[in-house]
Amino acid sequence: MTLQAAQGGAVSAAPPSRIPDRRRVLTMRRRTWIASALFLLPAVAYIVLFFGAPIVKNLTMGFQDYTTATFYNGEAPWVGFQNYVDMFESPVFSIALSNTFVFTIASIAGQFVIGLAFAVFFRRRFPLAGPIRALMLLPWLLPLIVTGAIWKWLLDKDSGAINRILEALHLTSTGIPWLDSPSLALLSVILVNIWIGIPFNLTIFYSGLQSIPDELYEAASLDGATGWKAFRHITWPMLRPVTNVVLVLGVVYTLKVLDIILGLTNGGPANATQTLATLSYNLSFTQFEFGQGAAVSNVLILISLLFAAVYLRLSRRSEAAE
Amino acid sequence: MKPRTTRVAWIAAASAAAVLGLSACSDGTGGGTASGDATTLVVQDYYGDEPQKTVIGDLLDGCAADMGVTIQRNVVAAPSLVQKTLQQASAHDLPDVLMVNNPDVQQFAQAGYLRPLEDFDIDTSGYPDGILKAGSYDGTLYGLAPGVNTLALFYNEDLLKAAGVTPPTTWDELKAASAALSGDGKYGVAFSAVATYEGSWQFMPFLWSNGGTESDIDTPEAIGALQLWTDLVQSGSASQSVVNWSQADVADQFKAGKAAMMVNGPWQIPGLEATDGLNYGIVQIPVPAAGDTLIDPLGGEMWTVPNTGDDAKEKKAAELVACLNSDKSQLQNALAQNYVPARSSLGTQVVAQVPQMQTFVDLVANARGLTAELGPDYPGSATRIYTAIQSALTGSLPPAEAAAQAQAMK
Amino acid sequence: MSARRRGISTALAILILIVLLFPVYWMVNTSLQPNGATVTAQWFPFDPSFHGYEVALAEQAGNILTSVLVASGSVVLTLFVAAPAAYAIAQALPRRSGPLMLVVLVTQMIPGIVVANALYVWYSDLGLLNTIPGLILADSTAGIPFAIIILQAFMAGLPVGVLEAARMDGAGQLRVFLSIAVPMSRNALITSGLFAFLFSWSDFLFALTLTTSPDVRPVTLGIYSYLGAYVNDWSPVMATSVLASLPAVVLLLVAQKYIAAGTTAGAVK
Repeated sequence: MTLQAAQGGAVSAAPPSRIPDRRRVLTMRRRTWIASALFLLPAVAYIVLFFGAPIVKNLTMGFQDYTTATFYNGEAPWVGFQNYVDMFESPVFSIALSNTFVFTIASIAGQFVIGLAFAVFFRRRFPLAGPIRALMLLPWLLPLIVTGAIWKWLLDKDSGAINRILEALHLTSTGIPWLDSPSLALLSVILVNIWIGIPFNLTIFYSGLQSIPDELYEAASLDGATGWKAFRHITWPMLRPVTNVVLVLGVVYTLKVLDIILGLTNGGPANATQTLATLSYNLSFTQFEFGQGAAVSNVLILISLLFAAVYLRLSRRSEAAE
Repeated sequence: MKPRTTRVAWIAAASAAAVLGLSACSDGTGGGTASGDATTLVVQDYYGDEPQKTVIGDLLDGCAADMGVTIQRNVVAAPSLVQKTLQQASAHDLPDVLMVNNPDVQQFAQAGYLRPLEDFDIDTSGYPDGILKAGSYDGTLYGLAPGVNTLALFYNEDLLKAAGVTPPTTWDELKAASAALSGDGKYGVAFSAVATYEGSWQFMPFLWSNGGTESDIDTPEAIGALQLWTDLVQSGSASQSVVNWSQADVADQFKAGKAAMMVNGPWQIPGLEATDGLNYGIVQIPVPAAGDTLIDPLGGEMWTVPNTGDDAKEKKAAELVACLNSDKSQLQNALAQNYVPARSSLGTQVVAQVPQMQTFVDLVANARGLTAELGPDYPGSATRIYTAIQSALTGSLPPAEAAAQAQAMK
Repeated sequence: MSARRRGISTALAILILIVLLFPVYWMVNTSLQPNGATVTAQWFPFDPSFHGYEVALAEQAGNILTSVLVASGSVVLTLFVAAPAAYAIAQALPRRSGPLMLVVLVTQMIPGIVVANALYVWYSDLGLLNTIPGLILADSTAGIPFAIIILQAFMAGLPVGVLEAARMDGAGQLRVFLSIAVPMSRNALITSGLFAFLFSWSDFLFALTLTTSPDVRPVTLGIYSYLGAYVNDWSPVMATSVLASLPAVVLLLVAQKYIAAGTTAGAVK
């Protein structure tokens, strides 16, 4: 006997059988609740175990004088906001802050646009599209140590391949100091980061594009809307949830980028590529000021959080407005 | 209804089991120390490169055989050794014998990770004061280095001969020679001015020989040294890229013939020997004026005995450290790594086999440890130094201001 | 699309690939250079030396296998943990999804080193160091939150009517999830699984932190071991990277076939 039949039977019967009916509905809702809770349980457990303690620890470290000795004896004198005060007073901090913004915004813009363009391009069906698209993931796949080393050689002012190509094409007469000049170093690091990030965006956008039914495009083309128009009116709106994910995740990941900058320039020359992430690392692991390093990384987390919260709120609002 | 309840219960049980099972599913070698077994010692070092890896491995095995213990060796990549040690300290999981790069010994000693070597029976005779001081904190010895290294000026004999230049001995000669050797895609001299402690390390011979000190770089002597480097880069005698080159990159440039001279250490010798057609010579780094003494920085790694709380093991660990510092070990180590043996008496034996080491053996006698003056506060000054170097060499600030601003950093 | 247009598209795609992958070509080039020469590396390895590959194959084959095991385990764990959670958030708690997803996002904002340091102590006490399950658990810190985010975004768009109808027919939540939601989410699941694999494959931090012996050593760490304090011999590094890329590339080639078009028509609002 199905639930439906039971419910149907109950409704048409006399009042006394409504009580079992409500109980049945409640039981079903409770069961849904239990099921949902169980579905969530492994994830909640995992997140609490693997992230809960670290984030609490990082928060408290920002208020402590945490040194190499602390690792051993656990003693970390409370210093209140001193770490944060020191951080804000340090001239490197404001440089790192502005570099972080420039680095993040430029990287995201580049990866996003190029990744999306490639995804749209690869949506067409042509021979070798699949394998080529798979190979395009390689930049993201290589170990960052290797990527850093290779780009460091390619961008070398005197003997790097990039400059040699540019000189051969007569686009420049002397080597461009990609990584040596404070004015160019940040740009170079951004370009390398874009290179690394394109595959990530490409893959997610591609997957999202696959979910847009062909019929929509066919119908639109019958109305004469193709190419850019089709993109603006079909692709872009339908990609909205994917776009949100890519942007928010992209910003969160880019704010954390560390290894590639260390590999290319170590935050130099003269702090030209010092970001909050590299500053935090340097404070902690080369100067052994772990409290200060934690303070900087807490600021980074806060920036991430603010961005995510604001962005998601805005996009929710605009979605509701549609 | 029964079927549903059973199903829900089944899901609950399965999830719980999965979570528990995953966390319980651990097997085999946990932690770094094999507990309770005084005949296995965990040794941690960063000699991942060949030939060091094999040589140190052989040394360890030899000592282990003599002592009747087994070694469990953990080779960590050099940039990560400090991080690893910190993590192990927090888990009270330190190895029995730990190799520490000499500038870090003070930090670890101050933090309480290490046992004073005086608690054990280790022979420290025949060591120059500089080396013992480098391994001491607060007057107590914590680390002993079987071999040390320092910096010298390597030059390309063919290129110098072609330009009619002799190896420089003073700063003025250095500037002149480099200028004469630069041009046509080549640079006269190369050194590492990178934004890490490697850059600070390379700067020391110039800073110290000019009378400067690392505790305060806002002095005429320090600024003078900074000015030298700045002049070399801005006149085109050294590439702008020095601000990004590690010592390994500098060596690559020298090997490729792109730099006629380079500031580097003896560990590069095997690589230079392996480069076809490269005829090189070694002299000491030029001093500010004729007659000045060159004060070179001491480099090298030290063996230490961490605090593991296991007395029996610590004793054995100390024995291993002593064995690694024996004359025989020092000689083997020095020959294989191109280091200078710590005991001054052994220097001649090394030179007999590797004549190029003569300059380095002479220099080590007067060399100074990086942490000799500042101890655990060295990291702060090293950071200030490379910050000043970066600002000056990139032209962002004139040397005087670069030094002043850097010194004002906390 | 006409055959000519297809041909042009392929040519254009190959051109893009060449430009984009030039650094990868350089990696292969360097891996074949004699003496690990870097500054003087020629455009083409006319005189290829395979010593880098000899070293790499001799020493890293086991590490590559370790990486494969860890990455595969991470995929399984990620999908098992993330898919139900995403479904629950998307379908059962759509109004709470905002704050919940923000919590998941926050986990991604935490610098890896902070997590690694905490895990080391924990693993050391539990004896999970140098174990494959330990690495699987740790490497999933990138995959699980990411998968939850992707899958939630996707499952929020599943046709509610179909799901409700199934429930009305008496199917329990689990059945609805397994028989309807999962097949309909195939694209997103494959994408999430792929990224879980790639995150784990390229992980370096946890490999470095959570191992203290060569017994269990992912290949990212294997590469690092060739970089000594003073001298870097690059050909084994590059050769290992080339070899290490191969399993991942194979996986990509296979997986991309399954991200088929139109299987979830109308699934996204």
